[in-house]
Amino acid sequence: MRATELFDRYVFGGLSADEKTAFETRLANDAEFAAAFDKHKTLLESLNQHEQRNNLKQILSTIHKQEFGNDTPIIPIKETFIKKHGKTFAVAASVAVVAVLGTVTVLSAGGYLLKQQGNAITELGNQITTLKYSQDAIIEGIKVAARKPAKMYAPANIEGTGFALNNKGYFVTSYHMVKNADSVFVTNSVMDRAAAKLIASNPATDIAIYKIENTDAIKNIPFPFSFKENVEIGEKIFTLGYPRRDIVYGEGALSSLSGFGNDTTMYQISIPVNPGNSGGPILDEQGNVVGLIRGKQSSAEATGFAIKSGFIKQTIDNLQDDSLKKDLAFSGKKSVLKGLKRSEQIKKMQPFVFNVMVYKK
Amino acid sequence: MSKATYTDLEFIEGLRHNQDVVLRALYKKYYNLVLKFVVNNSGSSEAAADIYQETIIVLYENVQKPGFELNCQLQTFIFSIARRLWLKQLRNNGHTLRFKDDEEDDVVDVSAEIGDHLKKEADIEKMNACMEELGEPCKTLLKDFYVYRLSMEEISEKFGYTNADNAKTQKYKCLQRLKRNFFEE
Repeated sequence: MRATELFDRYVFGGLSADEKTAFETRLANDAEFAAAFDKHKTLLESLNQHEQRNNLKQILSTIHKQEFGNDTPIIPIKETFIKKHGKTFAVAASVAVVAVLGTVTVLSAGGYLLKQQGNAITELGNQITTLKYSQDAIIEGIKVAARKPAKMYAPANIEGTGFALNNKGYFVTSYHMVKNADSVFVTNSVMDRAAAKLIASNPATDIAIYKIENTDAIKNIPFPFSFKENVEIGEKIFTLGYPRRDIVYGEGALSSLSGFGNDTTMYQISIPVNPGNSGGPILDEQGNVVGLIRGKQSSAEATGFAIKSGFIKQTIDNLQDDSLKKDLAFSGKKSVLKGLKRSEQIKKMQPFVFNVMVYKK
Repeated sequence: MSKATYTDLEFIEGLRHNQDVVLRALYKKYYNLVLKFVVNNSGSSEAAADIYQETIIVLYENVQKPGFELNCQLQTFIFSIARRLWLKQLRNNGHTLRFKDDEEDDVVDVSAEIGDHLKKEADIEKMNACMEELGEPCKTLLKDFYVYRLSMEEISEKFGYTNADNAKTQKYKCLQRLKRNFFEE
């Protein structure tokens, strides 16, 4: 009998009691034999593990396909950009986000709280939420006779603003609002509450791109925005946002080409911004989007900061899905808003500015 | 039985006994946790799925160990494993981006579990490569005999050998080749 067959029989059963005893005696006395048997056992163990592992992998990937296969894929942001931009940006990658936010109050209603900011701000955040809802309650109360009550939803943990990148459901908002979100919904004057899915995010520049599935309400409305990357200090700018349930207009000027702590990814703006304005668009007089509101300086009134539109473009350019990239591309979009009266511009923009509601676990 | 929720202990028992419904429920429950984490740290949903599946494998390996005991919440364990695996992958890809840690995230030390897993993974990778090199019919023949425990008669029928002895000789040759590849490479 070959050694391997003897080994197999010993392992799987098939030796008589005497043969078994003889086998064990030989193992104890014949080192070479024992080593060969060890090798054999190791090989069989590996073979079994290999097969079990491959089976488990297959099962898991089947479960995944069945349970999550239809989910919108999330495309990562390539990091080449961060490397390319050296000093300013390398810091921004993660350290600076914390550092900047430490002194810049982030403008999402209801509790994006930072440890460094202490209790005063914490309370303020909560008050704002309460205020917002009690205000809404009063208004709802007034309107109650006139129309049927709106569907009740649980209040979101954080509310803010977002704006569309096209009329196919893609929109951009602040990453700091949606960070660790369990779910994200949007609504506005033309659209009922719609669920949104994360497409891409870049914590370093505080940009998140989302998509809503149901675009019936907006797909036939002309997309109003065009984008512009260069603006001058002193140019008049305006924003639309959701510091409360109704859309609110704000205007001011571009104060500086850099943000808090000379951060070149941001503009300083003199628009009075409130919690809830985070993620809203900053537009120039002609209605070109030049930035995205990020926060305000806690120690100074009417000093806001906006991410430069170029970084939204960058986020889109770094998407790995080429057709999506093309779809969201900045260039070639003509401004529908140019030359219009402000009130007309706002009318055209409204369907594409969203109240973003973020739920955390 | 399939049910809506399981306790941590039920998940572990179910996994230990290879219960498909429990594995599926477990998979569904914690996927979003890992997805969110990976995506927030510059990964794609595809990368998240890979990391998550490897995480479940590590969990599976551990519950199969005799005397395994969970010393924290299952969620914390899963998150900690996924976090370590993703950190490793980011490093392997030469990312200079600092790993973003979330102050809210609960993490336990899983270095021992990861260490065991990586050792095992290397072994399995080696076996994968050897089996690929071996090719058919050896691959299936060896698996049929050593893993699925088919008899030599069944094997000779399946592979069209004239008798069990021929199958046995073939199996012997295959095993010798595998042994050579596996130990001497």
